[in-house]
Order: sequence, then structure tokens, then C-alpha cells
Amino acid sequence: MKRKRLGVVTEGTFEAGLTVRLDPGCSTEDLRIGSFVVVEGRSHRFFCTIADMRLQATDPGLLADPPRNASPFVTRALAGISSYATVQVKPHLMLDISKGAGEETPPEPVRTIPMHFAQLYEASGLDFATVFGAEGGMNFAMGTPLTMELPICLRLDRFVERSNGVFGQTGTGKSFLARLLLAGIIKSKAAVNLVFDMHNEYAFGAQTEDGGWVKGLRDLFGPQVLVYSLDEEWGARRNVDVTLKVGLNQMELGDVLLLAEELELSPTAVTTAELVYARFGRDWMKRLVALDSGDSEALKDFCDLTGAQSESLKALQRRVKRVAGREYVRDEVAFSAIDEMVAALDKGQHVVLVFGRHDTPLDYMLVANIVARRVRRLYQEKVNRYERTRDEADKPQPLLITLEEAHKFLSPQVSRQTIFGTIARELRKFYVTLMVIDQRPSGIDPEVISQLGTRVTGKLTDQRDIDSVFTGVGGRSFLRGALESLNTRQEILILGHAVPMPIVLRTRQYDEGFYRAMGARERRRDALKDIADLYGD
Amino acid sequence: MRIGEIIETRSTGFVAESYQLHRPPALGSLVKVKVDGHREIYAVVSYGETGGIEPGRRPVRWSTDEVFDEAIYEEHPELRRTLRTEFTALSVGSGEGEEARQGLPSEPPPMHYSVYLCQSEEVLRFTEELYYLRLLLTGEGPVPKEQLVVTHLREVYRARGNDEEWLSRAAREIARLLKRDYDRLMTVLLGIEPRDGN
Repeated sequence: MKRKRLGVVTEGTFEAGLTVRLDPGCSTEDLRIGSFVVVEGRSHRFFCTIADMRLQATDPGLLADPPRNASPFVTRALAGISSYATVQVKPHLMLDISKGAGEETPPEPVRTIPMHFAQLYEASGLDFATVFGAEGGMNFAMGTPLTMELPICLRLDRFVERSNGVFGQTGTGKSFLARLLLAGIIKSKAAVNLVFDMHNEYAFGAQTEDGGWVKGLRDLFGPQVLVYSLDEEWGARRNVDVTLKVGLNQMELGDVLLLAEELELSPTAVTTAELVYARFGRDWMKRLVALDSGDSEALKDFCDLTGAQSESLKALQRRVKRVAGREYVRDEVAFSAIDEMVAALDKGQHVVLVFGRHDTPLDYMLVANIVARRVRRLYQEKVNRYERTRDEADKPQPLLITLEEAHKFLSPQVSRQTIFGTIARELRKFYVTLMVIDQRPSGIDPEVISQLGTRVTGKLTDQRDIDSVFTGVGGRSFLRGALESLNTRQEILILGHAVPMPIVLRTRQYDEGFYRAMGARERRRDALKDIADLYGD
Repeated sequence: MRIGEIIETRSTGFVAESYQLHRPPALGSLVKVKVDGHREIYAVVSYGETGGIEPGRRPVRWSTDEVFDEAIYEEHPELRRTLRTEFTALSVGSGEGEEARQGLPSEPPPMHYSVYLCQSEEVLRFTEELYYLRLLLTGEGPVPKEQLVVTHLREVYRARGNDEEWLSRAAREIARLLKRDYDRLMTVLLGIEPRDGN
């Protein structure tokens, strides 16, 4: 197999990476920041990415008086000799090539650097396969390298082992990426999914930004995916399995505190809420909402009972009534619906909770928090039981919770109050991990970010967001260039637990070919028309 | 073709007297000396001059209003005996038969041996490799070395039938050798750059 030689190593430190002088015939324009290259050392092959490029000249005189209007003959003679280019490459993995056939070891993390004049090559298909493995099983093809048509795989079993992040500014296709990942996870059975689908994008067909229609998870996987809807009316028009209601009895203090910003709760209101909760416990919302504040007698009794001030109590009540007045909120709802949801997850089914028209942050935060708390509590019980019995039958299915607008739950101010903050921090201990989707990772608690195993990110431009994505990652200056140079559409950087080394990819198409690869049932030809009928034009 | 006789010799090159007055080999042309019948020493002409045979005695003016230039020599044939043309060459390689090796020869060419002008096919063979350009750039002599290289490369370029590929290769070699001296490099590059009709 013939690989194109790009240059030779001339300098380097383990810390900062290698400097490679490009061969005269090799132009920087043929290379891309973040692309995958190979350095052949004496006994090791180093798998690297291009981190930086630099134009150099042997004589400063050339820079002071560049040859203007020079003929091609002169520029050809200068190019690559007097004026030349170097690239910085960062080794990530190395492979022992001194061993004979049959004794090969897999690539290991890099622990040394090659000597002078080791040669830099373009990576070949075989190199990609050596590092990223072949498609199939838990190896899920996420896309192709920028310069080659070759599937690059992500290890889904490793992906769901830890919480993950999908980032990218608006329009970079985060939900598309998430859909891709979810489909892969469902297909490979790496985990079961619970998706909080705030914008109604995952369950059924959704319109993409360029106007086409793509299939939802339900369309692809049929009854394997259960759709829960919070919106009765929306659900009635679609094939929804369960319409979810939320009871005042299910709301805990933390749920309301999480909404402090949405409800504009003052610090006094927060204190008052704490008092009411301390007095009534689980019934607190019901009691608070039921209180007739016009009846001064009742109000006084309530104040006596809780120790709250009547004015602030009235203010708090006005605020929480906004919650109680939501269409899907009832006084009393049993947890059975959520418990059944967990039972379905146990059976290997996946759940998408669609919010329908109730897509305000208030609805989303309130319901996601309540549902996730209950789910995690049940999982905790399961794990405890499994630890007691050590019976494989009791082993819980790993669960991946997909959370959009994650900064609302995981900002430094609230991440300690939400169940999601807890899940993100405790790793996989209770078999529950998160896939957080967000366009502003800087809004997420750095402590949570640093726990993320795999990060899949589209283009980000804000420096704070970029810093945030690389929280807890070594060699970030190398990755920064790669991230900043991403195309807005369809180009992503993956780094972390599920890939052997950071890699820039062009994401695979979410199209008919993908549907077939996911084993989608053959649909009637006029599916598009059906969708149009369903949604209106 | 024999063109002169060595009258001064050293490891880095030699000085020869040209057989023809005023007709030294072209600056930068490749010449050779045959040693022991089977060995050759190659050199590049780096300097030429014509002067009186008696050292210390400067030639005087001979021309009049009617007699000048070539006519002077016809009028005064004895002049051809009192003047001589010399040229200096820098050794750049040695060879036996078909095989040429670039670099300084192991010993200087013998005194009074003949100097031959190399034929096109010999030039072609010897200049296939470009290592010898280093010797030209570092050699001694009154001609600025980059100018010597320019005339040499143009000479060879012509001898090779305007071989552009070779000239580009030579240009890159020069760029490599003069990478730390941009001004001298450009002097050479602009000097050898092929122009239309050249």
C-alpha cells in the first residue's frame, strides 16, 4: 500500500509534539488542521493529528524583499528550500511495528517520540482501520475523515459507559448528531434510551434545516421505541403510546428551586418555599396551591403552621400557581406511569418523552427533573438489589438519558439541585449516564463537563465555549485549532472515551442508506406524502 | 580538442596557457586533463586573461588613427609572440572511462599536460549529478562565484539542448546551497532563468 510522504521530523518535544518539515513538493494547502497522519519511527508507528502549520524562510532577507513578479522558474526553485513550511503534529497513539506477524499488539497511548528524520505520511485506509476498527457490532460509523471515504467508528459500548456531551453552535446539527448516535445505540443495543425531546425532533419525522424530512426514531425502530407525550392534544394526532401527567404530589422542593429563574422567585420566596416544604413534605405544593389566600383566617392558620410571612406566602403562591396551572399538571398522580416507563426500559425498549406544545423551559425543566429523579431512584433500587443478589437477571440495563438545553439543568448555580447534576457526577455507578446536548457548553458547570467521557462537537466560535469543551482534556491547544477550523455543517470533532484518539470527521448522511443500515422496515413509497398530510404543508 | 597547456597546478585547480591568443575557453565551460592515458581530471574554467609574457612589463598602446583592432596584429606580427592568453580552471571531478566522480581529484594535474575542451556528451554525462556545484561556489578566484555559476549553468544548459528539467534541478540545488544567502541566490536564479529565445 502506497502512502504519500509529506515530510520529515526535524524537531519535537513530548510535551509540545513534533515539528515536521514538509517536502518541497507538498503544499500546506493539501493538508488540513486536525487531519490524521502517520509518522514512521524506527520501531513504532505514531498516529498523529496535524495541530498547526507554519510558513518559514531560511533567510530573513527573503521575507524583507520577497521576489515580486518572479517567474515560475524562480518561485519553483525557492519553494520548499528557501521558503518552506513546517507542520506541528501531535502523536496520540503508537503501534509497535518491530513485532513479527501474529504478535501485533493494538495501538497504545503514546509514551515516546520518534527520532530526527522519521517520515511523515498521509494516513492510509489501513491506518484508520488499525486505530478506529472496522464497522460492526459496537463499532458505529460516525462519518468519514475529511480527505477520505472511509467509515470511522465510535465504540458505542464505551460511549454509553460515561456521560457524554454533544456540542456545537446553533445550526451545526446537534440534534442530527444526537439522532445518529441514538439510532446507533438502539441498533447495537449498547444501552436503553430515555430522551427528553423538548423540540419534538426525535420521535417522529422532523424537518431538517435545509427543508428536507428525516425519519424519527419511532419511524426507524417501530415498537422498540415508546413515545410518551406530555401534550394530550398533540399526542392524539399521532401514534403516541402514553400521555404523561404530572402531579403536584410529585414535585419536590428542588423542582421548584430549579425553576427559580423561570418563576422569578425572590430569595424570600425561596425561603418561604423551604418553610412550606419542611412543614408539609410531599403535600406541600397541593397545600400551597389549595390555600385560599383571600380567606384571611386560612392564611393566618397556614402562616402559623409554617412560620412563613403572609405576604411572601401570597407571592410564592402566585408564582407556583403558574406551575399548577399547566395543562398536564394534576393534583394527585401516581408514579405508576413513570414506573411503567422504567419497566419498559428494563425490557429493552426505548422511551422518547415528547413535550408537544409544552416546550417552554419551565415545562421542560420541571418534567424532566421529576421523571429523571424517579427513574434514577428506581435504578438505584435495582442496582442495590443486583449488588445483593449478584444475579445476572437483576442486572439493570444501562440507561442513557438524552438531555437538550443541558445548561438549564447543569449550570453551576443549579447543577447541585438537579438530578442531572447528580447523574453526571456519579458516573456509571447506577447504570445511568447522560448525553447532554447544548450550544453553550460554557453555561455548564465545569465540574460536570470534566466528567464527560466522550465529547462530540460541531463548530464553536465563542472562546469560553471552546475552553469549556476542552475542560479536563490534555493537549487542548492542538485540539483548539481543529475545532475552530470546522465547517459549520456536517463536520465534527470527536474526542474522549469512545474514540482511541481525537478525530475530525465529516458526519455520515442521515438518509435512506442510513435507514437501511439501521434495519428500518421498508416503508410505503409515499411516506413523504403521509408526513405532509400529517403535518400539513 | 586540445586548447592549452598547464603552466601552474594545485589541488584545487590549474592555470593553463591557451594555444590561441585571445581565445581562452568560455568562462564556465567544462574542460579536462588526461592523466596516465586512462584517467581524466575535470575542471570548470573560472577565469581568463591576456597579458605580456614578461612579468612586470606592461603592454603599451599600438593603435593609430588608421591602424586599430585586428589590423594592429597584421601590422606588428611580433606582438603575437610577446602576448599570451591564460585561463584558470577549478577542479571539480575525476574519472576513469565512463565513470566520473565529482569532488576534488586526489592529486593536482601534472604540469605541462594538455587541457581539452569537453564535448557535449561528456558535459551531459558529468553534469547529470550536481554535487560539483558546491566546489564552484566555494572556489577561489577573482570572478564572483555566483557569476561563475550563472555562466557555467547557461553554458551547460545550452550544451544539453536547453534542458529545462535539468536547469530547474540545478536551480533547486543552488537554492539549497545558498539558502542562507538570499541575495546571492537571487543573483544566480535571475541569471539562469530561461528567457524566450534563449
